[in-house]
Amino acid sequence: MLITIRHKLSLTLGPGIVRSVQHVLLTPQAGPAQTVREWAIDMPGFADAASFLDGFGNRAQLVSQHRPEAELVVSVSGVVETIDRNGVIGRVAGEPPPTLYRRPSPLAKAAGAITSKFRSGPKGGQGRIALLHDLMARVEEVVGGTPQQTQSQSQGGQSQSQSQGEAVTAAAAADFAHAFIGAARGLEIPARYVTGYVAEHGEDAYWHAWAEAWDEGLGWIGFDPTLGYCPTDKHVRVAVGLDAGSVPPVRSVPVIAAPVVELTVAGQ
Amino acid sequence: MSATPFDEMHNADGSVREPYLILEEWLKEQPPQALSLMSNDAESLFRRLGITFAVYGSNEGSEKLIPFDIIPRIVSAIEWRKLSKGIEQRVRALNAFLHDIYHRQEILKAGRVPEKLILNNSAFCPEMMGLDPARGVYSHIIGVDMVRVGPDDWYVLEDNLRTPSGVSYMLENREAMLQLAPELFQRYKVASVETYPETLRRTMESVAPAGVNGAPNLVVLTPGIHNSAYFEHSFLADQMGAELCEGQDLFVENGKVYMRTTTGPERVDVIYRRIDDDFLDPLTFRPDSMLGVPGLFDAYRAGTVTLVNAPGTGIADDKAVYTYVPEIIEFYLGEKALLKNVPTYNCTDLDQRAYVLEHLQELVVKEVHGSGGYGMMVGPASTKAMREEFRRKILARPDNYIVQPTLALSTCPTFVDRGIAPRHVDLRPYVLVGDDIRITPGGLTRVALKKGSLVVNSSQGGGTKDTWVLEE
Repeated sequence: MLITIRHKLSLTLGPGIVRSVQHVLLTPQAGPAQTVREWAIDMPGFADAASFLDGFGNRAQLVSQHRPEAELVVSVSGVVETIDRNGVIGRVAGEPPPTLYRRPSPLAKAAGAITSKFRSGPKGGQGRIALLHDLMARVEEVVGGTPQQTQSQSQGGQSQSQSQGEAVTAAAAADFAHAFIGAARGLEIPARYVTGYVAEHGEDAYWHAWAEAWDEGLGWIGFDPTLGYCPTDKHVRVAVGLDAGSVPPVRSVPVIAAPVVELTVAGQ
Repeated sequence: MSATPFDEMHNADGSVREPYLILEEWLKEQPPQALSLMSNDAESLFRRLGITFAVYGSNEGSEKLIPFDIIPRIVSAIEWRKLSKGIEQRVRALNAFLHDIYHRQEILKAGRVPEKLILNNSAFCPEMMGLDPARGVYSHIIGVDMVRVGPDDWYVLEDNLRTPSGVSYMLENREAMLQLAPELFQRYKVASVETYPETLRRTMESVAPAGVNGAPNLVVLTPGIHNSAYFEHSFLADQMGAELCEGQDLFVENGKVYMRTTTGPERVDVIYRRIDDDFLDPLTFRPDSMLGVPGLFDAYRAGTVTLVNAPGTGIADDKAVYTYVPEIIEFYLGEKALLKNVPTYNCTDLDQRAYVLEHLQELVVKEVHGSGGYGMMVGPASTKAMREEFRRKILARPDNYIVQPTLALSTCPTFVDRGIAPRHVDLRPYVLVGDDIRITPGGLTRVALKKGSLVVNSSQGGGTKDTWVLEE
């Protein structure tokens, strides 16, 4: 399926900023389920950014601006071709070992209520995949309510909004993904947070989050607890990490104007 | 571990050990009062140099002078050769361990080190995964804490692979001894330590990022004047001919690191950072850090700058990981460890904890993430109330403490109020790793000035000595 993406983010830096730097995680990479046909990120300073792979294997950019505007606008556009692999991503060369994703992380805490129900069940082979599906189905019990009703978990207090509605949806998706990841890790199953886009009903793709869990046989398998099924060709993967805090689409630090004192030091 | 401490100057029969023979003669030649005068001279010398340290947790909040003992500690060439081989082995293995932990994690897959101990550890830095630092070196500047219990019997207490301090004392102590007793250097051939700043510079240059034209631009990054080791930061920058910077003196633009200068921005290639990981870069680590440089870590990941030492090295000197170092050496080098580890009790193990709680009076208890002699208890010197306090602490958080037997630290002759008397010492040799592994002969000897005391930390009444390694 060909998915067209138009995504606009805006960050409030505030007035009087001398310099601002961002860590940008908005670049999808080619993988078993997707091929990137076109991709462009438009924001001040992007042309001179340093591009590199981060610790989780994501394509990241370090972007900076000198005397930026009070509001920073990031526009993403692209076309990605996807295929439906029932969520199976498999093993990707060069990625960190899956055991890394058993590390507890602050946002994805294991909820005792859900892990205790599964602790005695089989965690290997076919049993594991069935268990993960059960887990996905029961995540709602932990998060409490339907996706639309949950409270957003704030991401570092930055104003980083799409439209109001989309922001709520994305935050709810984060809660569902975190609940799934926490439960899987509670059962000693490596699980990671995935950011990306989903074209749920074939219309414009929106920013979204889901999870992937590790199976020794199949490798990484996606689970979308918000939508209640494994990712299909409607999903475009952008970045993976321990939790939402480790892979926000844009992380920014403004450098507030320090009182500049021009000094002339004699004899130095 | 013997009950009577090893006396580095005297054999059991009272005769003088070979490396100390000339010193013994010299001491006899000194007229009465000479040592006392020399000691006063030393104090005014250090006061003039301004080497002081801030004591944390003391209400005075004052700057103090670390007492300097005028009697050097002397190590023979043969003793040193054995010791430095052991240190080199350890440093090589720990750098290999760091590379593995931040790549394929073979040692965890092999089950030789427990996975959770590493991956759930706060000192483990996931952001470092897959990064290839220049020459594969993670920890470039290392200060290994050791104690001696016999002629060739050394134990490693801590590896200190993050940002070890104290090297400026090693250099100043030598400078002071050269001024105070020049004639002793005529009689002894003492290996030089004065080349340390130059070797540090060469080490940093050897790990500059690819593509630097000409001499790499080096800086020392300090948390600022309020840091207890600020003197050392400025001293090393000065000795190396590098700029001393605070976070606000540096900035990241277009993926590269620059220093503000009066003549405009200047590109920076290698940073000797004395700011802890958490505070290094608010974009990647603690967002509330005012000390760091926003974007610095990403620039490092993008390969435009080298950080010395790399972030995340703390996973290799974590007190809980320490117990596995002999295993780590075997795994990567296929060799038996040349230096000993102090046997360590794990308080999360019920049997070991029961033993520990029964024998607190004989044991040393250390906080897993503590340093500088804070948060520790030395059993034989403890009061009943202290032991009760630590019993409660261990029961409340067994994973937060490691417990070791009390070692009989060796003693060296030390000038005290009533003349010369043996006092317990430890040793911190300094290692530089870049294109090669270079160990400065000697290091910083710390001495517990109180009679019988085993705590050598300067914050707890310890002093320092010049350490002489004799040339062959």
